[in-house]
Amino acid sequence: MRRFFVLLRNEMKLSIRDMNMIIFAVLMPLVILVVLGIIYGGKPAYDGAPYTFVEQSFGAACAVSMCAGGLMGLPLVVSDYRERKILKRFRVTPAHPALLLAVELSVYVLYCAVSLATLALAAGVFWRVRLHGSVWVFLGSWLLTMLSTLSIGMLVGGVAKNTKQAGVIASILYFPMLVFSGTTLPVEVMPSAMQKAVSWLPLTQGMTLMKNTFLGISGGNALLPVLVMLGVTAVCAGLAVRFFRWE
Amino acid sequence: MSKAISVSGLTKSYGGRTVLDHLNLSVKAGTVFGLLGANGAGKSTTTECMLGTKRADGGTVTLLGQDPVRDRRALFERIGVQFQEGDYQQEIRVFELCEETACLYKSPADYRALCARFGIGDKLKSPVKSLSGGERQRLFIVLALLPNPELVFLDELTTGLDAKARRDVWKTLAELKAQGLTIFLTSHFMDEVEALCDEICILKRGKAVFYGTVEDAKRTCGCDRLEDAYLMLSDEEERK
Repeated sequence: MRRFFVLLRNEMKLSIRDMNMIIFAVLMPLVILVVLGIIYGGKPAYDGAPYTFVEQSFGAACAVSMCAGGLMGLPLVVSDYRERKILKRFRVTPAHPALLLAVELSVYVLYCAVSLATLALAAGVFWRVRLHGSVWVFLGSWLLTMLSTLSIGMLVGGVAKNTKQAGVIASILYFPMLVFSGTTLPVEVMPSAMQKAVSWLPLTQGMTLMKNTFLGISGGNALLPVLVMLGVTAVCAGLAVRFFRWE
Repeated sequence: MSKAISVSGLTKSYGGRTVLDHLNLSVKAGTVFGLLGANGAGKSTTTECMLGTKRADGGTVTLLGQDPVRDRRALFERIGVQFQEGDYQQEIRVFELCEETACLYKSPADYRALCARFGIGDKLKSPVKSLSGGERQRLFIVLALLPNPELVFLDELTTGLDAKARRDVWKTLAELKAQGLTIFLTSHFMDEVEALCDEICILKRGKAVFYGTVEDAKRTCGCDRLEDAYLMLSDEEERK
């Protein structure tokens, strides 16, 4: 475990020095929340809704940091380390590939957690946003959505040939998921055909789950999104370790 | 004396071009072995096939009695490696790179003492990218020595070092050898090879054209200087 924490501390320092993730995984979700807050204030999500628009969007703001970390940060850093032959140097040490992937994964889990904390603080203080459902159920859905998103990034980073390829794959995953999964554009305002199409994105499932658990909506089937995300996490993480390439 | 390295019939080709042709090597524990040859002769490929970072097409490699691919994690507790193109995280500082490497081993050496020994003790807080070529080279030698290894691989170890720094590195390596360290190195500097190596192998197009002690090489060619002998030996085929 000492190995893990020394590496985590160092990698976290390096990542903060780089600033990209501070901007995209922490500040950007906050800016989105603030903009929504300024526009909608304490207005209900729709006429007679028991929750406000900002409350409805809270899960989406959380997902923005997951997207940034899982679909941009994680795949790029792992493939960059491979291209720079840093992984090759690790290969001639007793380190296990899973150790490295776990460290990088944890860096982005921390970003998502910091983002969640800042969002909750800002939303609570300025717009009196409150959690309508159970805090544990919401945190469970947050964790699951985050892990499934990060596992996709781990797979991309683990198997991409080089940084360029990882960047292309990351962009293909990042932008559609960011825009269409309901993170920046609420699913509710999309035409119904589009809603059906985007429901295939794994992040949409996570978003819906986070929104429902945050708002305390018990209706709808929670089993399907949970299964989809558990499946995505298991398959992606398994493949990432199995097909990990040092060079 | 026991063998630290034993290589037999090592063969590797890329796209039909043979880069290693049934190479045999054997290095006794506590000695320094030099692998020589022109650029493209197969030195790096040999080293990488021995370390398991490249897969050989044929032949066997045993390092400290273990298989470098199958026993990788146990073996690399006891082996240090310095690659020719050592790279590092963009923003990392010297002490961070040392810490990050040291934490991977069960009982690592003290990196502060090692850095001081190699003359970069005052650079611990500097970003690695701000070091001079020679300082960086010495840092990567330090990293290779961090596991307190029994065997160390040094690829072109003093490239980029000034004359004084090279002498200092030689001296330190000689001290470590006296403590029982086995060293496998590649080099283009014959003065260095002459100062350090007990045995050498000269590669040419993936084949060993000479294998023996430095003295043997000079005697074989009737030369006083290893550099002349090296040029004669590695040029052999052309003259025939």
